Amino acid sequence: MEASITLKKVGKLIGDKTILASLTFGIERGSLVAIIGDNEAGKSMLLKVISGIEYQEYGHVYINGLDSKKRRLDIISTIGFVPHEIDLDPWLTLEQNVRFMGFMYGVDTESVNTRMIQLARELHIIPHLKRMVKDISPGIVKKGMILRALVHDPDILIMDEPTAFMDAESYRHTWDLLLRLKGKKTILYVSQSLSEVEEAHDRILVLEDGIISLDGSLDKLLGSTFDYHQFQIEFEELSEDLFQKLSQVPKVKNPSRIGNSIHFYGRERNVFFAVLNAAASAVMKDISVNKLGLQDLMDAKFARDGIH
Amino acid sequence: MFIFPLLIHFFVTIVLKNVLVNSLEQIPYDIWVFPGILLLIAAITANAVIYRDLFDLRVHQRAFLPLTLAPFSKTQLILGFLVISAIEATFYVLVAMGVLNFFLPKTLSALDYFMILVFTPIFIFILGNILITFSLLIDRITTYLSTILVLFLIILFGSGVLVELEFYPKTISLILSNLPLSMILYSLRDIIFSNRVDWTQIFIPIFVAIIWTWFNGFLLKRKLNQ
Repeated sequence: MEASITLKKVGKLIGDKTILASLTFGIERGSLVAIIGDNEAGKSMLLKVISGIEYQEYGHVYINGLDSKKRRLDIISTIGFVPHEIDLDPWLTLEQNVRFMGFMYGVDTESVNTRMIQLARELHIIPHLKRMVKDISPGIVKKGMILRALVHDPDILIMDEPTAFMDAESYRHTWDLLLRLKGKKTILYVSQSLSEVEEAHDRILVLEDGIISLDGSLDKLLGSTFDYHQFQIEFEELSEDLFQKLSQVPKVKNPSRIGNSIHFYGRERNVFFAVLNAAASAVMKDISVNKLGLQDLMDAKFARDGIH
Repeated sequence: MFIFPLLIHFFVTIVLKNVLVNSLEQIPYDIWVFPGILLLIAAITANAVIYRDLFDLRVHQRAFLPLTLAPFSKTQLILGFLVISAIEATFYVLVAMGVLNFFLPKTLSALDYFMILVFTPIFIFILGNILITFSLLIDRITTYLSTILVLFLIILFGSGVLVELEFYPKTISLILSNLPLSMILYSLRDIIFSNRVDWTQIFIPIFVAIIWTWFNGFLLKRKLNQ
């Protein structure tokens, strides 16, 4: 498939600090890509560099094959950007904000009207269009920002925390729209909500200290830990001897204790039964088994060291 | 809209005409100061517009970044801010002209009024560039306001708006009269009161405004790192 966004050895510095370190990757046209990572990992900066808000110090960003620095005016209309912070003009109505941006991008009034009404209907913000932004709740304003970013019908939609400040209903409306646009537009977004990323992605990029530490679909990312399960057994009383005894059971990984509970990881179910046999003399209160997810992957212990 | 020109008339013109009476060329002070007062009103309007459209949006991170993502060069954006401020200032000058005309002892000719409207955008293109430079370089509101206060003090007394620069010592007068803002005001008064057109005095400020617009575009580009 054709690449919509291509980064070649892109680096970004702020002062002496490296924010993005020689990033090289491509994003296919029409795909839905999520970027996750710790705070200060460089996620927002990566979005800013791709969308042209900030220039990289070295390397090249290509949008639809055009160099973003050399052909800025040619590519800028193909990008819609939604920042994390609310940045609509508070002294204008939602509609005026959208119309102004449509005017700036040279979109004719009829197209602005059609797109605005259609998108506002899908996002359920029609009743708010005539209200001043300063009087609207942040969740609705965020939907207005998505509408504004789409008013010039860009090929690429870049969003920093697209569902920030939103309630459950707004979240659903927003993702209904974004999933409808998937395939027609390249969508790249940053989110701190791992459950949101697990639900909606073709590909996940995990950014860590300015480099991409993991890249792929959820199944691929969890490949190394996919067979692992997290086990938890709560005892009426977990003595140190019992904890040590259970920790010594073959194939028990990363055992830890919290109060009277033991947590451990295991690839095979018979590990769990071996532990249960070893603990048969003690009184158990609760048992739980969980399949690993993105949250576990993002846990520093796994991201950096893996399970050992 | 009508009160502001009236306030300036009551608190500036009425007082100063009792002190200065006539200009050095024996023109009644309230007539001589009329173009200056109108350009002062234009300057205050332009400051409000640039504060609203550029400084406030930039420092509070509202709507400014999306604006810079629109398919325009940075110089075109700067030109946009200048054109908007010139249009609003000229409109306000038109209103002020209508109000203050009632207080003039002698009405100016239609051409004179027209020339004031022609020179207002030129004046704003210079002053607007100064204000835009401050809006881009300064990040704190208090610093910005203090700087603007100083700038308006210079405009009031150092560009011939209220008092003729010939009142200053010769060297200072020479320096002040060669500032682009003073040149515009001098040219305008020359046309209105002496029917003289000094093209050099007109083209130098226009040339400076063009260069300054380009420089502000460069400054905006550097500031945003785009």
